[in-house]
Amino acid sequence: MALILSSAGSYPRIGDSPELQVLRRTIAAVDRGERTPADLSDAEAEMTRRAIEEQVRSSIELLTDGLIRWYDPISHLAGKLSNIQIKGLLRFFDTNTYFRQPVLSGCPARTGPLVVDEFLLATNALGSMPTPDGKAGRLGIKPVLTGPYTLAKFSITEDGSMRSLEARVTAYAEALAAEIRALADVGALFIQIDEPAIIKFPQDWDVFSLALNALAIVRQDTGRNGKPVKIELCVYFHDCAPLYEKLADLPVDVLGLDFTYNARLVDVVSLAGAPMPLALGLVDGRNTKLEDVSTVARQVEKLLPRIAGGVTYLSTSCGLEYLPRDHAFAKLQLLARIQAAVEGQRARVAERPA
Amino acid sequence: MSRARLQQLGVDLPLFPTTSVGSFPKPDYLVKARSDFNKGKITALQLEELERKATAFWIAKQEELGIDVLVDGEMYRGDMVAYFAERLPGFTTSGVVRSYGNRYYHKPIVTGEVRWTKPITVDWYKYAQSLTNKPVKGMLTGPYTVMDWSFNEYYPDRKATCMALAGVIRKEVEALVAAGCKIIQIDEPALSVRPEELRIAIEAMRIVTDGLNAYFITHACYGAFEYIYPGMLEMPVQNFDLEMSNSDLHMIELFRSKPFTKDISFGVVDVHSHVIEDVATVRKRVERALSILPKEQVWVDPDCGLKTRTVEEAIEKLRACVAAARAFRN
Repeated sequence: MALILSSAGSYPRIGDSPELQVLRRTIAAVDRGERTPADLSDAEAEMTRRAIEEQVRSSIELLTDGLIRWYDPISHLAGKLSNIQIKGLLRFFDTNTYFRQPVLSGCPARTGPLVVDEFLLATNALGSMPTPDGKAGRLGIKPVLTGPYTLAKFSITEDGSMRSLEARVTAYAEALAAEIRALADVGALFIQIDEPAIIKFPQDWDVFSLALNALAIVRQDTGRNGKPVKIELCVYFHDCAPLYEKLADLPVDVLGLDFTYNARLVDVVSLAGAPMPLALGLVDGRNTKLEDVSTVARQVEKLLPRIAGGVTYLSTSCGLEYLPRDHAFAKLQLLARIQAAVEGQRARVAERPA
Repeated sequence: MSRARLQQLGVDLPLFPTTSVGSFPKPDYLVKARSDFNKGKITALQLEELERKATAFWIAKQEELGIDVLVDGEMYRGDMVAYFAERLPGFTTSGVVRSYGNRYYHKPIVTGEVRWTKPITVDWYKYAQSLTNKPVKGMLTGPYTVMDWSFNEYYPDRKATCMALAGVIRKEVEALVAAGCKIIQIDEPALSVRPEELRIAIEAMRIVTDGLNAYFITHACYGAFEYIYPGMLEMPVQNFDLEMSNSDLHMIELFRSKPFTKDISFGVVDVHSHVIEDVATVRKRVERALSILPKEQVWVDPDCGLKTRTVEEAIEKLRACVAAARAFRN
């Protein structure tokens, strides 16, 4: 069983030192008319490069671009679709961060790439960095998409045809399906779909799972066309234990779970087993306190024998943008220490005489 | 509804009292001074002098506009949680995290037992009140929000953190009451983030306000109130200050399903838009409020703190509030 370190999505776009304030300062200068959109792109590229570099330095193998260009997880995608206006601010789950709410005036449709360009820029940035020893061919960028259900749940509509949640979810799913095809076309091998809303609103399961099935069909199509892509579904910001067995039954390649809302989730998963690889969000991406390495390592060891697929991913419970940069980096490094502890223990067991 | 309590406190307000939620934009000279102070170019005393000047400006401006219940404008604060955390032993300041867009703040970390050692806001309250005969609100952040918007490395769980903070904030409320403050706003914008924890927020607010002789307001905003209404009405305060305009007054429908039983400070202007609402728009919003609420319950104010607007925008938004309220009084 391989244990691979994976990023869960966002990464801080700012830090305390002046060179880490470049994006914040540039956005403010653009707002004042003192800098150009090209300057903004440069600043975004610089902070993306730094986010990737810190992941590489922490031994993460499945990386993201840190979602540095995203205003928020909802409007960044919805705002690029037709028939959508981005309006008022709303709090994003129980985070003290906000998203701008999409208002649908008709059926949202994809008219251009959503994150394809960002994926290509991140891939180029990763390619321009020195590859650490032993990591050749093992590092890759994982584009992230907010899933159709979460996008639909946080959208409102002025159009009668989009009044039902199912209509909105279906429309978003079609748009995201096209994006998955486009990402596969440009070489993405692994795509993360975030659906935090479903564990908060489990009553919408049927609508949610229909949309997930639609995305799974696209994945099969791309595979048949010689562009295989894996889909990782990530749920977080709520207790996923009540829905675990249903989540594990979905047609996705990897299931990412937030273990921080229920201390018993390790037991739940261990008892039920996992028919697919899991991304274990055992390290809290929302709190600065560093977990005890041996405690988390024991949780991983308990889970590994129960996970199918020959590979398990270790990650934080959610993206790290909610932490100050130094703490976010410390959490990434903690993942590496946990991985080393688990591998050390496995080596010791393997060396024991029978 | 709670007029009797206000009268018992000696506070006589017209119908549709106007107020604001707390923060106002800092004048350019103060923004520069705060930056200079952080770089060590000016002293704390020099900064405070400018904060007092800016406070006096906003008190005079609110009087000129005809606002009924004034705020000090929070010229001396940055973030509403960090300000208190920086003054309470037990907290450590962290690096910056993003709030939304290009706005960031220093999210505090609870690293030890949180203790109240001396008044935090009382001198500013006294100063602001000394500048006007109108009532000035005492302005605090509530225990549930301070807990939710801080990292916790010390207390065993969220409830323990919240209850510890409630005891601390009560001491500040007692100090404000002792200083003569009669209307105290305890902001809980995080109130709706975990509906399953509403009871914790209510219990904490009870610790903060129980038995104290003041008119209490709590402010909440940008949340999913449909999941905590009507349970949120059990908060032991007299007035709920709610952001209404940003969400196109959607909450009105909630109030139709189950009556809103407290006074309401009804947010009638959007604080995240540069557009200045005209008086007719604001009047329509108040009319919507009156379609389900008795006029004696309704206060008129902006959705939230105005600190993200320019000084001119903030003034014009307040002017629209006052004009609409006066139209209804007449």
